[in-house]
Amino acid sequence: MIISTSWLNEYVHPGVPMEEVVLRLVMAGLNHESTHSVGLDTAVELEVTSNRPDCLGHIGVAREVSVLFSTPFYIPQLHLTESNEPAVDSISIAIQSPEQCSFYSARVIRGVRVGTSPQWLLDRLATVGIASVNNIVDITNFVMLECGQPLHAFDLAKIDGGIFIRHAFPGEVFEAINHKSYLLENSMCVIADNSGPVALAGVMGGARTEIGSGTTDILLESARFDPLAVRTAARGLALSSPSSHRFERGPDPQSIDWASRRAASLILELAGGVLFRGAVTAGNLPADLPPVTFRPERILQVLGIDVPIERQTAILTSLGLVREFYAVDGGVDGAMRWRIPSWRRDLSREIDLIEEVGRIVGYDTIDENTSIPSKPVERSRRDTLIRRVDGVLVSAGFLEAMTTSVVSESLSRLESPWTDTESLRIAPALLRGADRLRRSLLPSLLVARATNEAAGQTHAELFEVARCFMSSPEPLPVEPLLVSMVCSGTFLRAKGILEAVLSHLGVLTKIVWRPFSSKLFIPGTAAELLIEGERVGVIGSIAKGVLTTCGLTEPTLGFELRLDLLEKPMDIDCPITRPSDFPSVQRDINLVVDERLAWSEIETVIRCEAGPHFESLCVRQVWRDAQRLGEGKKSILVGLVMRSRTGTLSSDEVRETIDRIVSCCVTRCGASLRA
Amino acid sequence: MLFLVSLERFVAELDSFYLDAGTSLASAGDAAAVEVARVEFLGARSGRLKGIQKTLGALGASDKPAAGKRFNEVKEAIAALLSNAQARLIADPSEPATDAIDISLPGIPLRIGRLHPITQTIRRVEEIMGRLGFESVDGPEVEDERHNFEALNIPPEHPARDPLDNFYVATASRGGPLLLRSQTSTVQIRVMECRKPPLRIVSIGRVYRPDTADATHYPMFHQVEGLMIEPGTTMAHLKSVLRYFASSFLGGDVRVRFRPSFFPFTEPSVEVDMEWGGRWIEMGGAGMVDPAVLTAVGYDPNEVSGFAFGLGVERIAARRWGVADIRDFYRNDIRFLEQF
Repeated sequence: MIISTSWLNEYVHPGVPMEEVVLRLVMAGLNHESTHSVGLDTAVELEVTSNRPDCLGHIGVAREVSVLFSTPFYIPQLHLTESNEPAVDSISIAIQSPEQCSFYSARVIRGVRVGTSPQWLLDRLATVGIASVNNIVDITNFVMLECGQPLHAFDLAKIDGGIFIRHAFPGEVFEAINHKSYLLENSMCVIADNSGPVALAGVMGGARTEIGSGTTDILLESARFDPLAVRTAARGLALSSPSSHRFERGPDPQSIDWASRRAASLILELAGGVLFRGAVTAGNLPADLPPVTFRPERILQVLGIDVPIERQTAILTSLGLVREFYAVDGGVDGAMRWRIPSWRRDLSREIDLIEEVGRIVGYDTIDENTSIPSKPVERSRRDTLIRRVDGVLVSAGFLEAMTTSVVSESLSRLESPWTDTESLRIAPALLRGADRLRRSLLPSLLVARATNEAAGQTHAELFEVARCFMSSPEPLPVEPLLVSMVCSGTFLRAKGILEAVLSHLGVLTKIVWRPFSSKLFIPGTAAELLIEGERVGVIGSIAKGVLTTCGLTEPTLGFELRLDLLEKPMDIDCPITRPSDFPSVQRDINLVVDERLAWSEIETVIRCEAGPHFESLCVRQVWRDAQRLGEGKKSILVGLVMRSRTGTLSSDEVRETIDRIVSCCVTRCGASLRA
Repeated sequence: MLFLVSLERFVAELDSFYLDAGTSLASAGDAAAVEVARVEFLGARSGRLKGIQKTLGALGASDKPAAGKRFNEVKEAIAALLSNAQARLIADPSEPATDAIDISLPGIPLRIGRLHPITQTIRRVEEIMGRLGFESVDGPEVEDERHNFEALNIPPEHPARDPLDNFYVATASRGGPLLLRSQTSTVQIRVMECRKPPLRIVSIGRVYRPDTADATHYPMFHQVEGLMIEPGTTMAHLKSVLRYFASSFLGGDVRVRFRPSFFPFTEPSVEVDMEWGGRWIEMGGAGMVDPAVLTAVGYDPNEVSGFAFGLGVERIAARRWGVADIRDFYRNDIRFLEQF
């Protein structure tokens, strides 16, 4: 809402420069957007929140200024000369859709001279950025900007029959005063005559009945339209106007008639003509707003500031509220009842009145050094889990990425390890081409890696912790929390990182690893991780087709884990074991086995037979040599570490254990020992 | 020997030897040069001293004692010089020789990973609010209309509910229309529905609002929303908590300022500014929780009161690090990410 300073000064004289007025208005709830000069005047743009339609006019802003500076303000006096001919004889009004329009009034002025507006009016409109059309239209705009009630003037001669306020017929065509044609929908409200729509109610008038240089008789509309009906039309046709902006927020119903009379008196003054008697009306004005009970002690309880009752009362009175009496009913001793002015529909509860007192007194009076009692706070299990996971990945040198939850359809169609159901679609799209809620983070991370590759940063190694979305029979979709990682190198490198994460969560020993077949990964290079039969993770070399879809060329490995499923098994509070005082013994065993034998088989046997002094094992090397080992064979060099907690191990004990392990590997895995 | 050697001649030979051997040993630059000199002058088989020693027999009998004495003197002197040269140049065999290091060469790079700047900001906020007794809570990103609108006192005709202003899920669901949440206060509603006051919680997470992506807007961003519901809570507590937060986050004594505003779920509602670099910068919105919201979750507005506040994470992160274009937070260029 743009305010003209000299226009404002016609209603109120705060006695201080405009900058100071603006600052006080900002501190009382009207944000300042900009100030600029227009000729000798100064235009100030204010942001008016949707609950204060009364400030969408200069009089409303003047009232605020008068309250803030404790100075009187003036509303123009109206002197109207009416002829004896009743307006009702000139036109009939019928509201056919009362839910769209609850009240309609029209005045008739005949014999006007349409022409240029006088300079003072041109200046006012110029300051606030409204284009001048002719004196009649200018007056309607002027009055709207004065009191916040939009008006419209029709050329009465061009109205065919009577006026109907109704739903638009589906497919009805309407040419607005901007000379564009619009296809209307049934949900929209129109002012119509026998020939069709003459105005889009509350939004814009029609070209057919617009005021032109030849107009002599005027129908002046001032009405009350339902905010939703106006918004539907304005949004649906992408056609906003200062009028629709005000109707969407709800102007003061009591200003409907004042605005009509004000405009009529200005028309008579500037364009001549004869005003017929009375206004033609249809419908009903809403009832008075219900009074609000208010307890003065609540100011201190809610705002934390002590405002004397006299000051509270003075503020509310200056805002236009009227105190009725001290309420004695219901045991609400000392409470007051206040009648609410018709222009403050936003004041319906005690809390609203508390806010009024607070904002006028000023929130700078609220203390900012009040302490609150301390309270212990525990970190949730989920937060602990997430921090452990990203702690490991950051230590491993990975950068955390953040990608959007909504992806393109082609990305969303890549296989998800977690669900086969189709991804959920949203409308409108989040970004161009992205309208699918993702079912995995891997594609997004691959795209991020590809973006880096394209910029010359190859081998970008990234991870992300975020949710994915899966449709479910429940009212809300399932949103599992995932961690996903993409990297370069070998499978065993990626697996090492994954194992470090799982180990730091205390779940590594609970995982069962199985080869995994999926379109996501190159065949034979992927594994799924299961806990008690449920898939909690996948890892592998990303398939070429998937890389291509994501725009990547370099080979990439990735893993993804279900953090939601790891929350329960997470085990991080194990007691600390004291390291043994005694030395360890290390032995290497070189086993030759069948090529197809998985390491896990040998590992199981070793762990089973290693006895109570087993400390750790590792795979030192795996190699093949067709000549020395034979075809279809491989050699695994295993390093074993043994240590006792009670004494130094004897070589006999060690040899016995090694012999036992080797013999079991021979019998159970078909291994042979290589010297 | 077929001829006799005079004593003078013999001594001159010795002197010449002494001079040459001494010079060679003194100027030897390394262990190898010392060894070469040793072999040349003192070598057991063909060293020069050996050659001179052989001519001792060719001296006259009366010259032999003097010649022999002079010979021994020279031999010992050169042996001492050799010993010094060896000590000077030959390293202790138990310590192997090492090459000097060029200490100005760059070290082998250690790659350190980083958390995303948004995560870092969120953790900082959680830490500060944790000190004030605020617990972190979490909730779904896809919400129903009741939690995203009705429970927050946003009725059906409110402009915020316009289908063009929200990301609705296109597939119908059993429970009614679903949408991506436009604020994290949905989580607070869910928590209030399950718990009784007193309550101090922060909900931080992704929210979604249709907006053309540009330097200061992105359709997906993160919000921090705080809620405190306790008997006797006033706006003074709200202002003080926000001042504490601002001071902890920015460092120093930061003032905050309230400007009246309007949000459907708070009354009174304020916009919060904090003083940063001598200017007032918008921080977020706040207010006392609207009684209608308290009633909707089953609290009695006459018994408890509370405040709520909301901040945009991207905005404070961008300000903190001087990031001019918030889209950089989502480009995931490693040259950007590794700076944090």
